Amino acid sequence: MKEPFVIASWPSVPVEIVRAAGFRAVFVRGAPGPTPTADRHLEQGIFPGRLRHLVESALTGRLSDAARIVIPRTSDTDYKCFLYLRECVRRGVTSALPAVILFDLLQSCGAHVGAYDAARTRALLDELASISGRTPSADDLRQEIVRANAARAAARRLLAFRRIVPRVTGTEVFPLLAAFWELEPERYVAAVDGAASAFAKRSALRGPRVLLTGAPVDGPELHRAIESHGAIVVAEVGPWGSGAAGDEVRQHDDPIVALADKYRADAVGARTPAASIRHWTAGMLDDVDAVVVSLPPEDAVFGWDYPALRDMLQARGIPHVCLRGDQYQAPTAEEHAQLDAMISTASTLQEARHG
Amino acid sequence: MAEKQLDTTTAASAFQKQWFGDLRRRVFDERQPYALLQADVPFELFDLAGIPAVSNQWWASMIAAKRQAPQFFDAMDADGLHGDLCRYCSLGYASTRYPGAGEPPWGGLPTPRLLCARLTCDCIHRVFELWADAFGAELFEIDHPGAGDLPVRWWELGRHQWRELVEPHRLAFMVSTLESLVERLEAISGRAFDRNALRERLELVNQQEEVFDQVRQLIATAPECPVRMTEQITNVMATQWVRGSEWALAHARAFRDEVQQRVDAGVAACPGERARLMWVGAGLWHDTAFYTAFESSHRAVFVWSMYLAFGPDGYIRYGLDDPMAALASRTASFNEYLHNPPWAAEWIVHQAREHRISGALVLRPRSMKPAGTGRLFIERALEEAGIPVLPIEADVVDARAWDGDAARAGVRSFLETRVLQ
Repeated sequence: MKEPFVIASWPSVPVEIVRAAGFRAVFVRGAPGPTPTADRHLEQGIFPGRLRHLVESALTGRLSDAARIVIPRTSDTDYKCFLYLRECVRRGVTSALPAVILFDLLQSCGAHVGAYDAARTRALLDELASISGRTPSADDLRQEIVRANAARAAARRLLAFRRIVPRVTGTEVFPLLAAFWELEPERYVAAVDGAASAFAKRSALRGPRVLLTGAPVDGPELHRAIESHGAIVVAEVGPWGSGAAGDEVRQHDDPIVALADKYRADAVGARTPAASIRHWTAGMLDDVDAVVVSLPPEDAVFGWDYPALRDMLQARGIPHVCLRGDQYQAPTAEEHAQLDAMISTASTLQEARHG
Repeated sequence: MAEKQLDTTTAASAFQKQWFGDLRRRVFDERQPYALLQADVPFELFDLAGIPAVSNQWWASMIAAKRQAPQFFDAMDADGLHGDLCRYCSLGYASTRYPGAGEPPWGGLPTPRLLCARLTCDCIHRVFELWADAFGAELFEIDHPGAGDLPVRWWELGRHQWRELVEPHRLAFMVSTLESLVERLEAISGRAFDRNALRERLELVNQQEEVFDQVRQLIATAPECPVRMTEQITNVMATQWVRGSEWALAHARAFRDEVQQRVDAGVAACPGERARLMWVGAGLWHDTAFYTAFESSHRAVFVWSMYLAFGPDGYIRYGLDDPMAALASRTASFNEYLHNPPWAAEWIVHQAREHRISGALVLRPRSMKPAGTGRLFIERALEEAGIPVLPIEADVVDARAWDGDAARAGVRSFLETRVLQ
């Protein structure tokens, strides 16, 4: 029998909650290719590819086996996607859609946000438990936290092969990091341990080390494009790559509070406080030689961070390139030329620094 | 720009200029604090604390109307802010961040003591943080929980059943957040907050919006539209920023009386009216002449925009035993009703029928991504209701890519082929 599963639109839905309620979490990611059914309802240039594909799949009946579609409030487009899907059901556009629910996780620093998030996390658990008939105890939740934390520790071991002297390319390691969200923790740890053993035997990779920032990517296509020029992507902003592990979920009397706190602070996306992303980015700059800023056409958020980032990079003499294309499409010839020039500059600087 | 048909429109414009001059004097000469707010923040709390408040959207519309926006947008472009970022909510920031780029109206904004924004769209946190930083001022954010229950005919619940309109957890969160805001305002003003005064203020806001409801009815039912949409907006918005004040209520009544007199006398904004148009979306602030451009040629008059219509349906709250909860219920979903499914399409179709609309022009905003959502649902609902739709692609404050002649030609063709047949 197929394992019961829940679809989520962004990895800000706690996997621990989903698993404790008896489901497997399946997270939506973008892909190239047309979305003609979704295009009838979603305006162009606003929704990222992952949401267009989610709506396409939803409206063409491909998600009918899911127990629920969970949409977190961690971006405005996700929230709109929730409203659109509910409207499509109301208007009879589709009937083969599992119930769509909103996980209303807020991420601002307001005094009342923490308590609100804890209550909404509890409501999510109650909703999922009511479908599965499996109401987890606090100890069940703690056990899921321990399992996921073990997977987080494994993901951090992978990150060690990227920092300072990289032994693995971004293209290779990104899918491994991303798998944190969907693999059972024990399988994830085993997969990482196997990969880590292999990486440990490798010699250091040569080439400028690149940080990929801007809008988070959910696939390795941009890594592949950047690395085709001889660079190594050693970190990327967002929950699918360097941010997959994040901090461990802390021990707390109430595991739901601990989970709500973790995901509010750690789930990188459009509503993550700008200072948090600035802080993370600044911390990465000591160990990179160049930076690629991805600002796709639907970006409404991360472009605001660009002037300050550019000024910081210029002050530190770190070359950078800003890409405005869709992450699922190959960069243009002009963008490839820009990448080439940036990496050439970074190589020269790297050689000068290291003799 | 067409000449003003109503005396109250001239008075409203004069009031705003005078009000802003007074604000600058109070801030510069008397060192009084003021606040910069997103339009959907509850202004009443600031006014009751003795802290005058300037609306970001109003300020942006002023800059655009004075034809200064392109200079500030060029400065944003030159600084590396890409062209797909929202320009409406950030024009005010640009006028602060790039002070030499253009000439802001009436001497420009003084430094506020506080900025405050509801975190509706994702970009608001960014824009207001940058703006607060540019001023060296404090920022208070009101987070925006998402609605899980979606009552379709929201305007039927808002007045008397507002507790049913917003889920209890969202309402409680919004009350707590507004209470925290009040604490900040008390600390800034040194004045204790008076809940009875809030109740009285909200009662006055109700009265003001009831007056606008009467104006809306006059416009909907008069044989011909008595007041141009642009003049509706000037009169309504001048009062909404100081809603519930003595001047606002008096002005609303004067506006209603003037409209009533025109109806009684059979005076129309566009005599011989043949087409009644609605404008769906924010105003085209850099080209307001667009809205009167089809009167003489086609006898087509813009009758409806959200600015007047939303007042009665969005603001009125009866049952003010807990005024903060009433205010929170208004704030919780405020502008979502104007854009998102299921609320916007249902309301706009209802309004179109009430106003005997013969054609709708729906804004496709170029850079305001969040305001651009829900548009396809709205367009489809209007067409299904038998109301022809013409999408208008434009940025409401950025005139640089606006081809006014081409847009007017498109409307003329729309009128001739779909509306006036």
